[in-house]
Amino acid sequence: MNELRLRQPRHSADPRAVRYWTVDAVIGAVVVVVPLAVAYQLTGRPAALGAAAAGAAVLAVALTVFAPRVYYRAVRWEVTDEAVYTRSGLMVRTWRAAPLSRVQTVDTVRGPLQRHFGLADVTVTTASAAGALKIRGLDHEEAARLAEQLTLLTQATPGDAT
Amino acid sequence: MSDTYRTSRQADPREGEPRGHDMNGPYQTTQQADPREGEPRGHEPGWERVDRRTAAVSAVYSLAVVAPIVLAMSKFLADRDVPPAGIVAANAATALLVIGATVAYDVVRWRKTVFRVTAGRVEQRSGVFVRTHLSIPRDRIRSVDITADPVRRVLGLATVTVGSGEHAGAEGSELRLDPLTKDRAEELRRTLLDRGERSRQEQSAEGDPALATLRWSWVRFAPLTVWSLVGALVAAGAVYKALDLIGLNLLSWDVTRRIWQELQEMPLWVAVLLVAGAATAVGTLGALALFAETWAGYRLEREAGGTLRVRRGLLTRKSLSLEERRLRGVEIAEPLLLRTGGGARVRVVATGLGAPREDQHEQVDALTPPMPRATARLVAAHVLRTDPAAAFDRLSPHPPAARRRRYFTALVCTGLGFVAVAVLDTLFTWTPAWAWAVPALTAPVALALATGAYRGLGHGLTGRHLIVRSGVLARRTVALDRAGVIGWQISRSPLQRRSGLLTIRATTAAGKGVYELADVGTDQGLTLAAAAVPGLLSPFVERTGPPPPGG
Repeated sequence: MNELRLRQPRHSADPRAVRYWTVDAVIGAVVVVVPLAVAYQLTGRPAALGAAAAGAAVLAVALTVFAPRVYYRAVRWEVTDEAVYTRSGLMVRTWRAAPLSRVQTVDTVRGPLQRHFGLADVTVTTASAAGALKIRGLDHEEAARLAEQLTLLTQATPGDAT
Repeated sequence: MSDTYRTSRQADPREGEPRGHDMNGPYQTTQQADPREGEPRGHEPGWERVDRRTAAVSAVYSLAVVAPIVLAMSKFLADRDVPPAGIVAANAATALLVIGATVAYDVVRWRKTVFRVTAGRVEQRSGVFVRTHLSIPRDRIRSVDITADPVRRVLGLATVTVGSGEHAGAEGSELRLDPLTKDRAEELRRTLLDRGERSRQEQSAEGDPALATLRWSWVRFAPLTVWSLVGALVAAGAVYKALDLIGLNLLSWDVTRRIWQELQEMPLWVAVLLVAGAATAVGTLGALALFAETWAGYRLEREAGGTLRVRRGLLTRKSLSLEERRLRGVEIAEPLLLRTGGGARVRVVATGLGAPREDQHEQVDALTPPMPRATARLVAAHVLRTDPAAAFDRLSPHPPAARRRRYFTALVCTGLGFVAVAVLDTLFTWTPAWAWAVPALTAPVALALATGAYRGLGHGLTGRHLIVRSGVLARRTVALDRAGVIGWQISRSPLQRRSGLLTIRATTAAGKGVYELADVGTDQGLTLAAAAVPGLLSPFVERTGPPPPGG
């Protein structure tokens, strides 16, 4: 059975991204679970609220322990001379490809937490309203290099990118 | 706090080409000197004013403000036993004041508004309190639209809107010349859109440039569009407002109660039929009226200089033009109701079309009124300069797994309906037996929709276009210029993976920005996408050996 498939993009995220995503998920989990638990204690322990808090806690454990590792394996990227190619998605896998000749902007984003881990995300947008490609969890120096390289390649191609 | 560094395309190396959503558009809404002030001024006509009869136009429109004031004041004064002469005097004074103020303001506006067309740009200086200087390079002009409402038409005037297509509809992105004489408007339109001799010859070779003209038999499709609902509301609203103005409150408490009592005295089925019939009648009338107002005199033609022009309108005449180089494809839209009646309409997929403006009943991308499906196909093909049969007749179906997926979704939805009723039944001891009929009745509907949704799926590839068809409630056939595809998004859920399906989205700068090919076979879809845009996806597609891919 010879089937066609999309090969995986060459590079993975920086391994430190797993820790960053874990910390990010823990913060998110705390923000949701703690108020639920407090409310449960304060309101005379209604069963519905207890169930909600327990469910949120289970979900939070899954999201903090497993999701970052699975996500690390899912997220991949590659830049060739002609195109940007990414793969992402925890459950629904999504591959995106955009030709460099159609790239309009290249953004690097570093939040405070990302800066602590020395990471950055790169967003590549095209003229399409739905065309943004995100490369997540890169080493921040690599991200800066990549953005610079993309900008150079992009400007080398004439045209209006629509 | 997060740092964001953005680098974007700087100066466009090919000045004069259309640009997409650039950060620095071509507009200068400043009061500073035009940076191109130094360019040759050989045949500049100098600054020009809009037509002075704008004062008459605003006088007529000020009556819309005067009329309710006069009515309200007459009633107020009459109630207080003011003699008729006093009422007339007060009204006349108020009317004169309002009309005078409006006209005076408009005259000032007229004096302060000047425009000129130079070799390189169209410029306008305007503004009574805040002066603005709007300047659009001529090679960036994408549309020149002419609108003549009844008042301006009677005076032989029209409004010209010059758009450069970027951020359409945004503040300051358009240059509005209001009003010009009809001839000057048409002359300006030609000057600004015609870009060379070559295309003029091309046109004379083509003969009649009309791609479509109105047939009044198409009015039969009018009640089958959503506009029948909108039309009914508009018509009802207008009547209500008019009657309210002269002091007749149609929906007063008494009237409503009397109608309600009458309805209650009838047998239920008569009442239901009566209400439904009345609603349908009003809706149909509204739809017919709106169709006539929007599409009377409709004519779609291809013009010299590569422009598509739509002319239409009964009372308010409009001329809309769209540059062909902004065109990235067309869409044949068949909403369920219209499709049942054998109708369809054609829309453009073009870059730089904004959201519809408030005063537009019709969407900006509408190229045709609702028309017979076969005609719509022909028009679409003509607009694309392609063969209708090659484009729309040979669409490949999607694999049977796609049909199974739709039936599965239908069954899950029905099942959830039953579960919901069961939960209600346990929570509340008394649940009427007919509640079970709701999910039972939705089952056949869901299955019918699933069948329709699968039949709607289809795709094809011609020399220049990627054809994508989908939808059951709103079926759309989109022919997208392959050169206009600026990226792919391919996604696969765990369930799709088991069935060997993919969802492929083509991204583009035009229209909705993304066009979807749902549940296509893996091989089928990847082959299509790789072929549609040579070189983009093919480096990333590979053949697997016997073990299924683990990605």
